[in-house]
Amino acid sequence: MNRRLLSVVGEGLLHVVRHPLRSLLTAFTSAIAIAVTVNVISLAFGMQEDIAGDVDRFGRNTVDVGLPPALAPGMPRPPLGAAQAARAAAILDGLDPLIVPRRQRASPVRGEGQTESERLQLVAAPPTYLRTLNIPVAHGRWLRSDDPVGAPGTETDAVGACVLDGAAAERIFPQVAPAAVVGRVVALRVEGAPRRMRVVGILSDPLRYRELFETFDEGKGARTLTSSLLSFRNVYLPEATFGDGPYTGISIVLADGGAVVEAQERLIGVWADARDLASLSSGRLVVFARGQWMDALGASTMQGSMIGNLVWMLIVLVAAIMISTLHLITVRERYDEVALRRCEGARRSDIALQITVEGVTTALLGGLAGLPLGYVGAALLREIVQFPFRFEFRYALVATGVAVFLGLVSSVLPARHAARLQPAQVLSRRLT
Amino acid sequence: MHDPFDITDCAAGAEALAVLEGVGRSYRSGAVAVDALKPLDLCVHRGDFLAVMGPSGSGKSTLLHVLGCLDRPTAGRYLLNGHDVSRMPDRELAEVRNATIGFVFQRFHLLADESALRNVELPLLYGGVPRAERRVRASEALASVGLEDRVAHRPGELSGGEQQRVALARALVKRPRLLLADEPTGNLDTAAGGRVLERIAEESRRGMTVILITHDPEVAARAGRTLMMRDGTLGHP
Ligand SMILES: Nc1ncnc2c1ncn2[C@@H]1O[C@H](COP(=O)(O)OP(=O)(O)O)[C@@H](O)[C@H]1O
Ligand SMILES: [Mg+2]
Repeated sequence: MNRRLLSVVGEGLLHVVRHPLRSLLTAFTSAIAIAVTVNVISLAFGMQEDIAGDVDRFGRNTVDVGLPPALAPGMPRPPLGAAQAARAAAILDGLDPLIVPRRQRASPVRGEGQTESERLQLVAAPPTYLRTLNIPVAHGRWLRSDDPVGAPGTETDAVGACVLDGAAAERIFPQVAPAAVVGRVVALRVEGAPRRMRVVGILSDPLRYRELFETFDEGKGARTLTSSLLSFRNVYLPEATFGDGPYTGISIVLADGGAVVEAQERLIGVWADARDLASLSSGRLVVFARGQWMDALGASTMQGSMIGNLVWMLIVLVAAIMISTLHLITVRERYDEVALRRCEGARRSDIALQITVEGVTTALLGGLAGLPLGYVGAALLREIVQFPFRFEFRYALVATGVAVFLGLVSSVLPARHAARLQPAQVLSRRLT
Repeated sequence: MHDPFDITDCAAGAEALAVLEGVGRSYRSGAVAVDALKPLDLCVHRGDFLAVMGPSGSGKSTLLHVLGCLDRPTAGRYLLNGHDVSRMPDRELAEVRNATIGFVFQRFHLLADESALRNVELPLLYGGVPRAERRVRASEALASVGLEDRVAHRPGELSGGEQQRVALARALVKRPRLLLADEPTGNLDTAAGGRVLERIAEESRRGMTVILITHDPEVAARAGRTLMMRDGTLGHP
């Protein structure tokens, strides 16, 4: 940049300093816009990224085969057992599948020493079940193949083993710290008979936005067996707990994520009893990849963040109009100054540059002041409404960029107006 | 002295600084066209000191704006220092104004928030002169109008006469070939006006070309020649 242009930039900066009140007003408008932007971006991006993280814990490499959730009366119940598990393994030959069957029942569950019981899903599965998910054990340990199933009856000493989801532990033992739940005993019912199980481990809870997920799930009307599983309010029991009756479902973990679609297509294409999610009430087995369900979830939260983004863009637009108007009025008061600068050798582009520098500087200063304002606002909101805000340094960078953009956009009209002034006209109006 | 309205030898002569060939300026307001300046020939030599008198609204300022490259003629050709400026692009005109022309206005037109020194620096700033040199030259220019002890004052802290001397220093700091003054003493009392005028006359004696608009015959008397503007036509008084 040459010396003249640098000087013109300096003139713009000086003007900002010399007119503090005017600059403050402009900066204030920008500050509010940027505060809102930071706020909304923290909300929208933060939630989006948290949910994406949540969703990845559901096991993207897993394909589920299960009974349709809404079997109409009289509809034939497709068989699902060891034979079908073997069939699936054969169909998926070459894709290196891990077949994990499970038997699933609903039961009231009460923690010993607690008064309330909760109706939860009991999931009896082999130890490989944990590999259908991508969540760690938070406390204690996961089930082992030699874990006891216990014996029926309330007074028996033969206690079985179980693992609780984080959310299940919280419901059954509301006053107890999760780590302290390990070692406690829960009472539940297995095929109608009471049974006692000692908690050997607690899974971490992957769902920070449980409400949101459940609202979504209801909204889609897709209460599939798997989605009830993925609500993570389950009690996991040793595989033999429910005897050797039919399976409720089979989860198939593929070593390679890229093979998921192929696996699903093979199962649907070859297996006469298997169908995809579209035919939930067909009386056939339902095959679906968890990735599909997750992608649908991702799309719906994306909609939410798009609305958020629309909000801050609107506010930035309003701020741009306000700042632009303020600048225009200011320029109208500065006709003499502009005309004089032109007399002394300023080009039109110099005038436009100066006005733009003034606009960008005030918007940027305001924006920088708005950053902590937005952060504090987000923190306050998080306290009050417990919304999932997340603030990261790069959101501040985005907001700073927005502030510069705001300054640029709101300077276009004032700069053009000032640059187009005819100095002779300005002077003769005064000097006639 | 030469006849300013005879341009037959003017364009060729090395002593000609500004030549107007049939230059006119008309304004269109709605359907009516106003001839603020009727087509006129004018030859201004280097070192000329011209006074322009005439009633209000007769076109004096319009003439000055055209001469100062602030306004384009709607008719004719304007040669300044040998270049046809009537067809020059805007950015080159800005450079011509910056390098060649000094302006003094009736109402001073100083930047109210800036010191006298910064006001005087302004043309040098647009000329790309380095800061240190700007300081030195602006201080010298202020000293040359007797304001060496008002360097840091803002216009609001100065009297009218002092303000006009700051404006004059601003016009002179770039050592212009052509000094244009539009009623420079119009807002000043006789004593203050006299000081400004004396400084302008001094520059004229040193060879600067000066064109000065005034209502005051005594002011006009300081010029080498007085021209009369009536209804957009320039003539002898
Ligand atoms: N920008 C303009 N638009 C229309 N008419 C103008 C404009 N500037 C000047 N005029 C007209 O041109 C004529 C000469 O104006 P001016 O040169 O300012 O006169 P003076 O300086 O002699 O008082 C006046 O009639 C004035 O109204
Ligand atoms: Mg006038």
